[in-house]
Amino acid sequence: MNIKYFSSVIAPLCLFGFGAFGQEDPSVERGEQTFMRVGCFQCHGTNGQGSEAGTALTPDTLPPEAIANFIRFSPGRMPVYPEEILSDAEIADIVAYLEAVPEPPDPDSITVLKGLKVGE
Amino acid sequence: MTKSPEKPNVGRRKFLTGAAVAGAVTSLPSVGEAAKEGSSSKELSPGALPPSAAQMELEASSPEQINEQLAANTASAETGSFGSDFMVDVMKSLDLEYVFSNPGSSFLGLHESITVYSDNKAPEFITCMHEESAAAMANGYYKAALKPAAIMCHGTVGLQHAAMNIYNAWCDRVPLIAILGNHADANERLGATTWRHSAQDPASMVRDFTKWDDQPHSLQAFAESFVRGWKIATTPPMEPVAIVTDAHLQEMEVEDRSALKIPRYTPSEPPQGERGAVRDTAKLLVDAESPVIIVDRLARTPNGMKLLVELAELLNVPVIDIASRQNIPTSHYLNHTRKAGQLISNADVILGLEVTDFFGQVNSVNRANKTVQSRTKEGAKLVTISVNDLYMKSNYQDFQRYAPVDISVTGDGEATLPALIEEVNAALTRSHRRAIADKTKDLRKTHKDLYEESRRLAAQGWTSSPVSTGRMCMELYDKIKEEDWALVSVGASERFVSSWPHRLWNIDEHYRYLGIGAGGGVGYGLPAAVGAALANKKLGRFSVNIQCDGDFMYANGALWTAAHHRVPLLTVMHNNRAYAQETMLVQGTANRRKRGIDRSNIGTEIRNPDIDYAKLAEGMGVWSAGPIEDPDDLAPALAEAVKVVKSGYPALVDVVTQMR
Repeated sequence: MNIKYFSSVIAPLCLFGFGAFGQEDPSVERGEQTFMRVGCFQCHGTNGQGSEAGTALTPDTLPPEAIANFIRFSPGRMPVYPEEILSDAEIADIVAYLEAVPEPPDPDSITVLKGLKVGE
Repeated sequence: MTKSPEKPNVGRRKFLTGAAVAGAVTSLPSVGEAAKEGSSSKELSPGALPPSAAQMELEASSPEQINEQLAANTASAETGSFGSDFMVDVMKSLDLEYVFSNPGSSFLGLHESITVYSDNKAPEFITCMHEESAAAMANGYYKAALKPAAIMCHGTVGLQHAAMNIYNAWCDRVPLIAILGNHADANERLGATTWRHSAQDPASMVRDFTKWDDQPHSLQAFAESFVRGWKIATTPPMEPVAIVTDAHLQEMEVEDRSALKIPRYTPSEPPQGERGAVRDTAKLLVDAESPVIIVDRLARTPNGMKLLVELAELLNVPVIDIASRQNIPTSHYLNHTRKAGQLISNADVILGLEVTDFFGQVNSVNRANKTVQSRTKEGAKLVTISVNDLYMKSNYQDFQRYAPVDISVTGDGEATLPALIEEVNAALTRSHRRAIADKTKDLRKTHKDLYEESRRLAAQGWTSSPVSTGRMCMELYDKIKEEDWALVSVGASERFVSSWPHRLWNIDEHYRYLGIGAGGGVGYGLPAAVGAALANKKLGRFSVNIQCDGDFMYANGALWTAAHHRVPLLTVMHNNRAYAQETMLVQGTANRRKRGIDRSNIGTEIRNPDIDYAKLAEGMGVWSAGPIEDPDDLAPALAEAVKVVKSGYPALVDVVTQMR
């Protein structure tokens, strides 16, 4: 990994303690607000459930390094968010929010998702 | 045989001559006055003159006064035969069911002949509130009925309106017949509006995206043009055509109808690929270890789907369905569309069947740094079968980037498949067949895994408000799956609802999915759905439209058309209160420029005020529910809407949704 990148992005994220915050942690609330403010929800859904425009970020939230990497250096359709627009601390909050999103229900527990025809 | 009216006598429909129905402006008094004076039409030369006092008076007339004038003119009605009657006979000979139109003065003769001479049957005049909607309706109608419809509009202002959805039809290979009214002879123009609604070459406006056009100058020539146009439009590659139908020709009195002949229509057989190239393709496929088939507009008819399934099963080849037409059932174990990237990068042979943007399939384009990278592995053989090279035009760039391939078979995909299947069968040895059969178990498992993954993803955000697109689509499917349903439109892209129908609906028939507005022009979705639903009404199918809010506001008058003509159609609003695609693109641009995204909503969101689509629908006589923000309210509203549609009426359910 690029040392400069590690020291400028990943290390601060680690200091903020990705995944260490519970539901009540203020960073979760801040993260949700940032997630909405900077438009992440538009492609990834308000709960990070994903869409064809943006990959699912929950419930199997990627490691913080991978999320930070995508935000800073997206090679594809994902808009690049430089630090001037989204700080490392804000990214840490977003990850905290995503990790706090409750597990989705089992599809078999949802009537309209049960019993659908699969294959022939 | 025919003669031009030499004097402005007031016959069966002469009252319509020169009347500018689209506006309140009409030149009728001039004609009437001239008739009283016994002057000839040539002496009138009204277009070169300032409006008469009578014209000025009529400009200010109430609708009642205008109707009185019309009635006075028809008092001396006669029942002759007119050019436009013959034109309708020509249309009947081709079993033209519908003419989608908004009334206009340059095609009054045809309007009257359709509604009176032909009793508004075959073709029926479908009242549209915008020519753009008319063109989209004809587009949707074709894709459901698999036969062309016509639109009828002014060759000037009407065509200007219709142009975008004619372009959508062009990009979508949809045949439609555009009948363009005009007043070619300046001496026949009865007022300033008529002059404004006349052109030297009306079809030039759409010539870049129509396959053929003509401007016949006699009724016999019209008959040949119309039949020829129909034939050209329906020969692959199918495309729209335009026929300028002059008002003068419509008004001609026909003295001897038997002297006019309607040419026999014989459909052209679609062009098939050259046999040797097809054989080479078969050999590549048979010897391949990991082939893949990519399809886009392959299945012109239900038979196209059957043939593709036969070919795919014969070789156990996974299929990627771009689905501008439904080419393979979503439930088929070889439909691996969700795995497209991986399949393409692992394939040793890639066969593209009627794929317009083959380059875009085998390459990936990085929008940020504008670089292109091949998605295929070294040595992969690329083969295309399509009619792409048979017909294209230069100006509009819908033909996409040039794709270098190893074998390029020029021929209609569906028409070429029987030969390809035959050649594959001939090339398959016993060991080939054993190896192919051994793949079945894994291929079935992959299909099931992809499906289960989609089901798991659909459950995410299930209780979200705004409603997730997964929830909206699956609640909808639950209510229609027992019907003989057809998803007639999803607007400009199914990706706008994250392709949930293709991920989880059992789209097992060709007619269950009709593709998108291929040119990406907004204002396609609702009217195309209405046109398709009109066709499906006769076919006994239950029509469903997933309607984006931005697209809806371009052409919402189509709802009135659905109500007026009793078109059963369930419209479910994907109301994300934004031009979401553009929101994302503007945001990406702002990010790249490091200027912040806090203004990305300007010009892209549809808020303040929020639009109440249910009220809007109600105002046009359409049953409606919503706006629904609580996902638990969705199922009961959809159940009610389904009942309304099954009773023969349109219904709309407004759902406030997540962006995608």
